[in-house]
Amino acid sequence: MKILIIEDDSALRDELALLLKNAGYETECVTDFASAVVQMKSSSADLILLDINLPDVNGETLLQDFRRQSSTPVIMLTSRTSELDEVLSMSYGADDFITKPYNPTILLLRISAVLKRSAKTGTSQTYHDAEVSTVKGSLTRGSSEQILTKNEMIIFQLLLDRKGEIVTRDELMTALWDNDEFVNDNALSVNISRLRGKLAELGYPDAIETRKKQGYVLK
Amino acid sequence: MKLTEFIRDRLTAYLIYAITWALVLVFLIAFHVPAEAIIIVSILVLLGVTAAELWAFLRKKGYYDKLASDLSQLDKKYLLSEMLDEPEFLDGRILYSTICEADKSMCEHIAEYRRESSDFREYIELWVHEIKLPVAGLQLMCHNDGNTRYSEQLRRIDEYIENVLYYARSGSAEKDYIIKPVLLKRIFGDVAVRNRGELQERGISLHASDLEYEVMTDGKWLSFILGQLMSNSLKYEATEITVTGEDFTDRTVLHFRDNGIGIPESDLPHIFEKSFTGENGRTHTKSTGMGLYIVKKLCDRLGHAVEASSVQGEFTEIAIIFGRNELYRFE
Repeated sequence: MKILIIEDDSALRDELALLLKNAGYETECVTDFASAVVQMKSSSADLILLDINLPDVNGETLLQDFRRQSSTPVIMLTSRTSELDEVLSMSYGADDFITKPYNPTILLLRISAVLKRSAKTGTSQTYHDAEVSTVKGSLTRGSSEQILTKNEMIIFQLLLDRKGEIVTRDELMTALWDNDEFVNDNALSVNISRLRGKLAELGYPDAIETRKKQGYVLK
Repeated sequence: MKLTEFIRDRLTAYLIYAITWALVLVFLIAFHVPAEAIIIVSILVLLGVTAAELWAFLRKKGYYDKLASDLSQLDKKYLLSEMLDEPEFLDGRILYSTICEADKSMCEHIAEYRRESSDFREYIELWVHEIKLPVAGLQLMCHNDGNTRYSEQLRRIDEYIENVLYYARSGSAEKDYIIKPVLLKRIFGDVAVRNRGELQERGISLHASDLEYEVMTDGKWLSFILGQLMSNSLKYEATEITVTGEDFTDRTVLHFRDNGIGIPESDLPHIFEKSFTGENGRTHTKSTGMGLYIVKKLCDRLGHAVEASSVQGEFTEIAIIFGRNELYRFE
């Protein structure tokens, strides 16, 4: 997955690139803003992060131009906190809108959500030989089915998206809160142990491994 | 303008007339003018003077009465000069040109201040957007370096920056908000996520229910307002925050309740006043008396009512009341 970053503040751009690289994305940065739209069109990026305040051009106009020819998902970034910018961006076809300073974990969550939406494969994900249905909130393996609660689904989804990698408790928490589930530390532990139980029922014992002081890994 | 007032004002003139007339009489008698002629001349002169005085009274009365009634009807008294016509009589013209000139100078003076204040506001807005870049940069650096120790302080810096921005916005005449349907749940979710670190660190439990209502407001402003309420709850030792929505036919009410130290009854009527810190302000050094004041001003501008209730040592509840006006819906 490749992400194109259009941001004029160089310190911020570099950190953003590093953040995305660490999260396993390929990145490309625009430095010449006058020809930004050309680069946007020619780039093979799967997603574009676009700042609104740019030298020479306005991100919103850029987006409007770009949208006439491409449907590549675009997330707008801005330090302006005005509803007007958000309304404009959304009406010009932005897929999401995030205000600076952003919580890095949330930024990553939003990026993966937008990518998933645009890939349109989200409905039929699989985990080993079990089918994951986010719509029904269920896991099906052969004839046995386990219904996951909303919280369990959010946790499972995040672990599944980064299967084999460590997902920290903090990231899980952020994902839950971002979905309006204001759980506390204890509730998270309870949810994870329930999820483990349900996975075991399906025949995947020890699917979620605990890494002390780091987080969890879905195997 | 009353006739008696006019007469009293002209008394000196009448006295001069009277003395002059007395002297004339003395001369007329001295020259042996017949009594009939003296009476006829006296009546004619009296009629002439009365007519002249009446005319002078009436033309002034018309003008000044209109001026007085315009002034009393005007909501903004300084607009009086716009309503005035130039009178025909001399003292009226002098008054008229004086008022106009004073008014013009006043307008210039005010315009200068307005320009200065809007310049300052623009600068603040610009500054806020600029300072957010390094803050965003630092936040990413913390994350990339795996050092989250500073994140909390950065969040606080950001909160204070927002404070400045919204204070500048709350007082300006410009209309930089957009009223549109906003889902309460979405806004509260944003606020909760932003404050998650501190809430969890302090073991505060957050309950939100019945927030599936749409209200007509500016999402960004409301988000700031809720952020302020949240930061107050954190300041005043709450361990539980409950946010609920309530829907009526003509309004939606958002209740923001915490179980913090509460507000003394005597302070309650003043908490939305500027720089009011009250008893809690003396015991808690972090009070600036600005938070709720800005909240109230923003609510006023958005057209929401805001109410507070509290029992000291038990709870504090702030209710924001969103009116429902179908006029706002254009679809």
